[in-house]
Amino acid sequence: MPFPNVRLTNRPLHFIYICDCSGSMAAQGKMQALNQAIRQSLPGMVKVARDNPEARLLVRAVSFADKASWHISKPTAVEQLQWVDLQAGGITAMGEALELVATQLRSPPMEERALPPVLVLISDGQPTDDFDAGLKQLMNQMWAQKAVRLAIALGHDANMDVLQDFIGPYPQAGGQVGRSMQGVSTSARQPLQASNATALAQYIEWASTAVVGAASMPVSRTQGSASEGNIPLPDLPPTLIDPIEGIGPVVW
Amino acid sequence: MNWILPEGSLLEFDGLSKPLKVLRGLGGGGQGQVFEVDVAGEHLALKWYFPSYLARDPNLPKRLGESIRATAPNSDFLWPIALLRPTPATAEAIKLSDPGCGYLMGLRPPGFVGAIEHYAGRIEISLQNVLRAGFFLADAFHDLHSKGLCYKDISLGNLFLQAETGRILICDNDNVDVDGRKLSSVLGTPGFIAPEVLMSRDRPGTNSDLFSLAVLLFRLFTRHDPLRGQMDLGIKCLDEPARRKLYGEDPLFIFDPKNKRNRPNPEEHAAALITWPIYPETLQNLFLQTFCDGMKAPKRRALTGQWKEILAKTIDHRVLCDQCGQENFPDDLATPATCWNCKSTLTQPQTLRLANGVVAASADNEIYLHHFDNLKPPDLNHPVGQVVQHPSDPSMLGLKNLTTEPWTAILSNGSKTTVEAGKTCNLAALIQLFTPMGDVITTI
Ligand SMILES: Nc1ncnc2c1ncn2[C@@H]1O[C@H](COP(=O)(O)OP(=O)(O)O)[C@@H](O)[C@H]1O
Ligand SMILES: [Mg+2]
Ligand SMILES: [Zn+2]
Repeated sequence: MPFPNVRLTNRPLHFIYICDCSGSMAAQGKMQALNQAIRQSLPGMVKVARDNPEARLLVRAVSFADKASWHISKPTAVEQLQWVDLQAGGITAMGEALELVATQLRSPPMEERALPPVLVLISDGQPTDDFDAGLKQLMNQMWAQKAVRLAIALGHDANMDVLQDFIGPYPQAGGQVGRSMQGVSTSARQPLQASNATALAQYIEWASTAVVGAASMPVSRTQGSASEGNIPLPDLPPTLIDPIEGIGPVVW
Repeated sequence: MNWILPEGSLLEFDGLSKPLKVLRGLGGGGQGQVFEVDVAGEHLALKWYFPSYLARDPNLPKRLGESIRATAPNSDFLWPIALLRPTPATAEAIKLSDPGCGYLMGLRPPGFVGAIEHYAGRIEISLQNVLRAGFFLADAFHDLHSKGLCYKDISLGNLFLQAETGRILICDNDNVDVDGRKLSSVLGTPGFIAPEVLMSRDRPGTNSDLFSLAVLLFRLFTRHDPLRGQMDLGIKCLDEPARRKLYGEDPLFIFDPKNKRNRPNPEEHAAALITWPIYPETLQNLFLQTFCDGMKAPKRRALTGQWKEILAKTIDHRVLCDQCGQENFPDDLATPATCWNCKSTLTQPQTLRLANGVVAASADNEIYLHHFDNLKPPDLNHPVGQVVQHPSDPSMLGLKNLTTEPWTAILSNGSKTTVEAGKTCNLAALIQLFTPMGDVITTI
């Protein structure tokens, strides 16, 4: 006789992409690079979901240009997710995007008990609306405060200050020391600088696998590993410190 | 995935006489990546570390070197075989500012799956084999601790199982260290770490291994976390501070008899409530010992030898319900018991009495050398006899001779017969067996 068919206790883990689709994203193939990066990352995300049965991984996406809207509005199990390409065009309603996310992080619709949500904001430019108002609304939500908030800056025209505001203050003393080596980020408590398609793909892969894993189920701890924040962030992939050449455009 | 070692490449390493071939990437985590490689025609696994991880654990190569020299405690460990450092040409091929280092180990054979597959309920496995896996795990820790070593970071992620046999394999042996020494910076995996280590009151060692072992056994046996009951429901966001409280500041076993504050919730934690009653009191007591008194007093935790003894006995007492077929594990085979699954009364089984134990005559139960000799510690590796069903009449049970020597059977009509190696003797007719190891007496 088999082991009794008992259901493992699990909690939802909400993962939300917040994607800049303004007109500038059409340049140098950035929009395609982002669509590609997310699509390529899905098999890895499925594997992480399988390896972490105590988490019920649910994915959504917001896009923002002239206005913000849900690209994937229904929290979707990652196995069922099909990435429909985002299209670039318009200005940069980043504040409105954060407001939209805020409405979904209220309880309800948020479950009473969950794992920390993971929010990934990706932008290549400047917000054109009231970013601070949007961020304030977002951060009024308990689940946004508890969330792992990551930001990816595409190219060199992204507004690093607003992305840092989204992540929260960068811890200066103690913990992981963040340095920027040759313009490459070494801590995700700062916006991640993706200056080519390869770096973007690696950051997206890292956020959707290593970070999701850390938020779902604790990973092995060593002394001196990152301890700040309510989820210790895994190390960034080492290849980023010395990017492998040869895939996609090198400079945008 | 971006593999640090290019797939298909031939790479040279210091200390390897010939280059090895990187066949494919197997996976990666926070510490590094694992590859299947071909070394002189043999397929092995190669774990390659990220430089950032090596920087945080500078003694790792030294510990690995010592483990390699000490050799594996037993064959259930995918133990490090060789430490590999890149030659200058290989360092060039690895596109990292610091190429790092790695080690070779045995490759997980097909048929073994991650223990998480069982935890998630995605494989079929018998209770007997889950208990066997538990025994092999306790046995592996026993042998490791006997060498003066400790593991420090056991978790579901480092354990592989074979559902058909209950065999296990333990990987990620890179944190193994001499007990009491401080050469490793690993603390363990939250949820498995002993509270005194999580709260930085102590360093990981054999006593904290005993806590982690009990957590792993509990999770394998119940598909539930021993500390997540009512107090889990009070946590909205299960993040790091919440985990610290649950597993470190205020850890309370869900079945603590003296403090019922953290009982499982019938809806949210049904698995624990269904599976815990399956196990005999003697086995439950080892969990109580470890998670109640032993929670704060590391020296009181159940020892590997105790786990081995009780688990072996539990497996010996496996009886099948006539009504539903489920496996039951009564403490005492002579006392009437009811089936945990369908609640019907269990038929008292025929038993095999040996010098050092009583085994219920249920299909697939086995007898071992330790059953004949009370000086031998339990060892489930080499069964000498197995209860089998007759191929055309499953209700007819026999005892199969798995040794190479013939046995002599005394039958109920007083006659004698020989049971050659590989042959089976009908248990309905058997009164006593004489074997070179000792005697087996059957009773109803
Ligand atoms: N000896 C091995 N044989 C086959 N696969 C292995 C072996 N060791 C590890 N793996 C696989 O490689 C992957 C990464 O392993 P591991 O180094 O344990 O990652 P982590 O950094 O998360 O601990 C896992 O999917 C694991 O199943
Ligand atoms: Mg591992
Ligand atoms: Zn029954």
